[in-house]
Amino acid sequence: MTTGPTEVTDKPAPAAAPARGGILARVTGAGWRRPAVAVLLVLACYAPFQLVPFRVFQLTMVLVYAVALLGLNLLVGHAGQISLGHGAFMAVGAYGAAIMLDRWDVPHLVTLPAAAALAFVLGLGLGLPAVRLRGLYLALVTLAIAIFLVPLLKRFESVTGGSMGLTLAKPAPPAWTGLAEDQWLYFLALAVTVTAFLLAHGLLRSRVGRALHAVRDNETAAEVMGVRLPFYKRLAFAWSAMFAGAAGCVYTWVIGFVSPDSFAVTLSITLLAGLVVGGLGSFAGPLLGGLFVMFVPGISQDINDAAPGVIFGLLIIVVMYVAPTGLAGLAGRLARSTKRILRKE
Amino acid sequence: MNERAGERGADPGPPGGDAFLTVTDLHAGYGEARVLHGVNLTVGRGEICAILGPNGAGKTTLLRALSGMVRVRGAVRLDGADLTRRPPDAVARRGVAHVPEGRGTFMPLTVEENLRLGAFVRRGRGEVEADLERIHGYFPVLRERLRQPAGSLSGGEQQMLAIGRALMLRPRLLLLDEPSLGLAPIVTRELFRIVQTINEQERTTVVVVEQNAHLALDVAGRAHVLETGRIVLSGSAERIRADEQVAQSYLGYRV
Ligand SMILES: Nc1ncnc2c1ncn2[C@@H]1O[C@H](COP(=O)(O)OP(=O)(O)OP(=O)(O)O)[C@@H](O)[C@H]1O
Ligand SMILES: [Mg+2]
Repeated sequence: MTTGPTEVTDKPAPAAAPARGGILARVTGAGWRRPAVAVLLVLACYAPFQLVPFRVFQLTMVLVYAVALLGLNLLVGHAGQISLGHGAFMAVGAYGAAIMLDRWDVPHLVTLPAAAALAFVLGLGLGLPAVRLRGLYLALVTLAIAIFLVPLLKRFESVTGGSMGLTLAKPAPPAWTGLAEDQWLYFLALAVTVTAFLLAHGLLRSRVGRALHAVRDNETAAEVMGVRLPFYKRLAFAWSAMFAGAAGCVYTWVIGFVSPDSFAVTLSITLLAGLVVGGLGSFAGPLLGGLFVMFVPGISQDINDAAPGVIFGLLIIVVMYVAPTGLAGLAGRLARSTKRILRKE
Repeated sequence: MNERAGERGADPGPPGGDAFLTVTDLHAGYGEARVLHGVNLTVGRGEICAILGPNGAGKTTLLRALSGMVRVRGAVRLDGADLTRRPPDAVARRGVAHVPEGRGTFMPLTVEENLRLGAFVRRGRGEVEADLERIHGYFPVLRERLRQPAGSLSGGEQQMLAIGRALMLRPRLLLLDEPSLGLAPIVTRELFRIVQTINEQERTTVVVVEQNAHLALDVAGRAHVLETGRIVLSGSAERIRADEQVAQSYLGYRV
């Protein structure tokens, strides 16, 4: 057994070197992740040419939710905190972009970093009281943020458009691409998603990622190791808000319309449910969660038009019963048992 | 001076007077609950010091106060530097490693990730690699389990991991809170033997809180008895062992 520097340090390792065995690798079973991601990316690039525009739009929204959930996953899955107000940060990004587009005609691409930065700063600010709280108290305070938001947006009508919301121009596909609008929006969302995943992955592999895991797994031990709890908790809040802000911005691009009721408390709760169902702290969790947030409320409506909430709740219960570690955990289990069966033959 | 060492309530300091850790009139507590009421304590450079005392006496609180995790009044000095009211990360940077009560294992992380977190405040990767090797020398069992989730280790292995992780800081002062908790006597004895080796080889000063007074007094040079937030007895390990009341309360026999 050697502990050579390439094996385990954070120095840029050659691509062939085994990845550091982090949480991510363990949850998804490491070995088949790279090829799986490659296949997924190829499919993702191929899909918009095969689907009708409405389906392309739906996939685009899956990506938007996946980016938001990536942020929530950092906070809940990796730093062990809780937020029932994640939708509020999505709203900050969405409205931030919308107001920039509406008032100052800011180019679309500029709204993205601006919205993300705005949400980051707000996350830092709201993280300040949040780091003093735990568990239910934290849940309550973040929920309050989400509740507070809708009336706030309605109140400042001159800027936000009040209950009527704001209607905006969508980014137009450049002629050289030859893409239709829905395809162009899809590829924009895909680019943001890929960037966001790379960013989150890099964060988690850094010293900071280790600090977050330490905070999540044992606060006392983390503290005696010299991990500054308030600092890292706040940072986790800020990043999670940043991803939500970016997702909100892309939401505005894609829908071309924002209104307060799109960001009601139910969105925040659906996001948290989506993440838990998708798989907390796992690599694939945000993507699976994105599918959940996009499709399950609609499916519930189809099954029982009168009480979609009931079906939605039942579906969550069923998934959590069958797969207590979320769909990502279930997929990992299935992959492992398939491998076992294949090996036996 | 050593004549007074066994006197109740007095802490004449370590023989030779080379005080490494000095605690003066330390008060600490949690909100309204006052737990330590003016603790005075000196620990000599390179010595192993045992803290004995009944449940709820404030032993854990004392260690938490030393590593900056609870608000304190009074003074804590380490090798001349003032550590009073410094946050835990500043204390860790000063070379104080704390093995918390109940081991503080990061369960889902691997053994290796746990160990690396021990060096969180340190810079210099090459040294960290060397330290991993050094720790495998003390605890060979950890090397075999490097890629396993730490939660899958036995209690004894987790305690070894906790101590190994603390050593990753290259501590000048090692605080151990009840390392024997929940372990078989033979494992505890082995653990204390290793602590003794570490103390000798690395010149690490050790403060160990322990219910198993026999073992603690075997390895310790000096010991202090803490009762309801005050040091009521200090002295060499032999002195403490010979104290009638200690014998009754902590060793389970009459002198
Ligand atoms: N987080 C806390 N909040 C409030 N009171 C606390 C807290 N931790 C400890 N205490 C109180 O402080 C007192 C001393 O506790 P401490 O844990 O320091 O005792 P101890 O000597 O380590 O006991 P034991 O041998 O059982 O570990 C106890 O009365 C306990 O109730
Ligand atoms: Mg204790």
